[in-house]
Amino acid sequence: MMDEMPYQHKTYHRSKTVVVMFLCLIVFGILMGRLVYLMVFRSEYYTMKAKELHERERSIKAARGRIIDAGGKVLADNKTVCTISVIHSQITDAEAVIAMLCKELGLSEEYVRKRVEKYSSIEKIKSNVDKSVGDAIRAYDLAGVKVDEDYKRYYPYDSLGSKVLGFTGGDNQGIIGLEVIYEEYLQGEAGTILTVTDAKGVEVAEAGEERVEPVGGQDLYISMDMNIQSYATQLALQTMETKEADSVSILVMNPQNGEIYAMVNVPEFNLNDPYTLPDTVDGDNVSEEKKQELLNGMWRNGCINDTYEPGSTFKIITAAAGLESGAVKPTDTFNCPGFIMVEDRKIRCHKVGGHGAEDFVQGTMNSCNPVFITVGLRIGVERYYSYFKQFGLLDRTGIDLPGEAGTIMHNVDNIGPVELATISFGQSFQITPIQLAVTASSIINGGRRITPHFGVRVADNDGSNSQVFSYPVRDHVVSEETSETMRYILEQVVAEGSGKNGAVEGYRVGGKTATSQTLPRGSGRYIASFLGFAPADDPQVLAVAIINNPQGTYYGGQIAAPVVRQLFENILPYLEKMDYNKT
Amino acid sequence: MAQRNSSRRRQSNSENFMDYSLLFIVLFLLGFGLVMVYSTSSYEANLDYNNAAYYLKKQLFATILGLIAMLVVANIPYHFWERFAVIGYLVSVVLILLIIPFGHESHGAKRWLYIGPISLQPAEVAKLCMILFLASMICTMGKQIRYRKGFWMVLLVPMPIALMLWKITQNMSSAIIVVGIAVLMLFVSCPDYKRFILLGLAAVAGAAAVVFVIVQMAASQVDSLDFRGARILAWLDPEAYASGKGFQTIQALYAIGSGGVLGKGLGASMQKLGFLPEAQNDMIFSIICEELGLFGGFAVIIMFIMLIWRFMVIANNAPDLFGALLVVGVLGHIAIQVILNIAVVTNTIPNTGISLPFISYGGSSVMFLLIEIGLVLSVARGIRLKDL
Repeated sequence: MMDEMPYQHKTYHRSKTVVVMFLCLIVFGILMGRLVYLMVFRSEYYTMKAKELHERERSIKAARGRIIDAGGKVLADNKTVCTISVIHSQITDAEAVIAMLCKELGLSEEYVRKRVEKYSSIEKIKSNVDKSVGDAIRAYDLAGVKVDEDYKRYYPYDSLGSKVLGFTGGDNQGIIGLEVIYEEYLQGEAGTILTVTDAKGVEVAEAGEERVEPVGGQDLYISMDMNIQSYATQLALQTMETKEADSVSILVMNPQNGEIYAMVNVPEFNLNDPYTLPDTVDGDNVSEEKKQELLNGMWRNGCINDTYEPGSTFKIITAAAGLESGAVKPTDTFNCPGFIMVEDRKIRCHKVGGHGAEDFVQGTMNSCNPVFITVGLRIGVERYYSYFKQFGLLDRTGIDLPGEAGTIMHNVDNIGPVELATISFGQSFQITPIQLAVTASSIINGGRRITPHFGVRVADNDGSNSQVFSYPVRDHVVSEETSETMRYILEQVVAEGSGKNGAVEGYRVGGKTATSQTLPRGSGRYIASFLGFAPADDPQVLAVAIINNPQGTYYGGQIAAPVVRQLFENILPYLEKMDYNKT
Repeated sequence: MAQRNSSRRRQSNSENFMDYSLLFIVLFLLGFGLVMVYSTSSYEANLDYNNAAYYLKKQLFATILGLIAMLVVANIPYHFWERFAVIGYLVSVVLILLIIPFGHESHGAKRWLYIGPISLQPAEVAKLCMILFLASMICTMGKQIRYRKGFWMVLLVPMPIALMLWKITQNMSSAIIVVGIAVLMLFVSCPDYKRFILLGLAAVAGAAAVVFVIVQMAASQVDSLDFRGARILAWLDPEAYASGKGFQTIQALYAIGSGGVLGKGLGASMQKLGFLPEAQNDMIFSIICEELGLFGGFAVIIMFIMLIWRFMVIANNAPDLFGALLVVGVLGHIAIQVILNIAVVTNTIPNTGISLPFISYGGSSVMFLLIEIGLVLSVARGIRLKDL
């Protein structure tokens, strides 16, 4: 055996050991091939996957576009606020951090200590901190304290035009009003910070960060004039107080092009604090659902979201339809005994004794119901309904605000003589105030149905890339002749008729009053309103004032017309000056 | 008697061989291993123990102990150990059985025995003892090994140990290594090829059949798939099991793939920041690839090839069959372990827990590996230079 062994050892043992070696080499060769495959050919894929895994994306809010009024005043702006956080792993002097945060933020030591000592990647201490406080904290330069700047929407005039402008939510997105409609222009594009983190989400400082800068939103230039809006708001508030009304709405627009100068719905709410209900409403002891309902009520824009029976202001439409169809001429004479029989129904005029003999112009000045019922019946259901359509009353106005309510109207098949009679003087159907204003505008502006709007143009923050909006206009809603006649008649209403409280010295004002009882009848609740425009021969401004449930005197001619008069007294010279400056 | 004479003659001969190349390769791998253990573990060690060098220190301590043990073993003539072959086998059995009452659980498997402050993996002892036992047994068998009875004897002897390792310690990779060592030692000591080719084909066919059955079971929605069944499915499509069995594999592939040709630079791995849990253990090769790139990975493989080459040279020049077989056993152990580890890390085979010799963190492993190197050095010292 001892002799044999070296022999064996030197032959097949050796060769077999070499075979083992080569087998190993082959396997290692295969593994190296596999490595080449993974690290050369699949490298790009795995590098991308690993990067996805390692990088955390933090978004940087874009500055939201401002909202700027016709005079260049900023109505909605951004305020820089700070979010203060601590990063546990980077804190070196916990006590100093706690003491500093307590002092600067006015927080209890217990609260701060709990967060500073909590083992987490990043812990938020306080958000929406003023920039000055954020800067002060940054100046301490303590390790592990992070001050992130952020934008918050800010409305310099608090409640001015609140229901028009709207406000934004936590992510800076529009919730109501223009903020919603022009979201795509205002919002901008959020940027991102890509940071490299370990598996627990702690940033790896050496790896640095990649930034994609945010693109700020575009500024929105609107037709609202801050001066007119604030004056109208004062008037509305004053009226609401003196008349103990539930609410007062004032709408001021340009009847030639549909630009809205002011849209007031008092009570307004504070845009910088939109989730606080007014003191008069108990918002604390109600369910979440109920509270949301109350908030929605507070945010409602009465000029657009609510409909009402327009009453006598609607006689403008009946008159225009009558003149346009030839059913009546201004010189036609009527007799008002104080009521009119329609089929078997006796419909009363507001003047119990009757207006006696009067022509159509006088009938309008008197706002005489029998006259308009007669005209309505002359026109007939089919023709009346087709004018209704032609004037655009059955469609929404297309205003650039959310939630516009539609017209509530009888189905044409259900309109009998009685219904037609009530429609003729503005009852038994409902429209929105904006619908009334726009329809009246198109009747007095020569027959052009304009689209009411606030948005005039958008432009980048530096004023470049301006984009002007255009709005549809439908011509020949009524003839120029009818329009001229209507302007004349409505001027007479204010000059010598029921709307004389709307007259402004030195200006030719046209208009129409209305007093309508709200449903159910006999509730003693009224809506007093007045629609006025000036100058009567070439209307440049049209205003509607609506007083909801006034106490005491409730006639539109007595309480609503003076509101428009005061408004016109102030804004007509102002608008002239504005025009003067423009040319 | 003849042996004793020859060994005395060798001792008196100043031309005895010391394989410095082997020693250098081992020392290089150890040093590189320590650097990589520090690189991979420092971030997590700093978070968990507030001491970046926590794992490094423990590994350094084990390495120094191992080097001392290696030097001691290298200076003892290897025939000294032959008398312990049978006892070693029995000790392995006893140690593995001791796991049942006294085993220490870690990472969901009971694999460790704690003797005072020292933790010991019976699997490591079993591998070393198996090499010793088989070398001794094959020498005693002589020509018997050429016959069927002898052939099967050598194959059957490691089976009880392998089965115990697999079933008791839930350590299939150690079981595979024990069987693999036996097959390689048998292959070298037996002149036949045919049987081994058949054996190899049978193993490949068996593995393929297992994979096929599991894939079929998965396709037919059988829920009885166990731990290892899911592992095989995760191997075939790791991204589909990314949150479960495929998690570690996916993370390792991200590390390797993102390393690219040149790597991110030493210490610059991202995956070690907790994405690849315990990167210093079995998956350390993936971090080597991430930091040092394809070149780093190749360099490590080439170092192991050189190590195996040195083993081959020593085995083929060993003074006797016992020495040669000891070296072949160590060669088999290290080669199989390296191949399995890299294959697992690159998802070439299904995931099974196995460390990378000399480099992965693990004191018990590095100590026993160094004792094995000591044995090889001892065999190498028996080579007379004039025989080379």
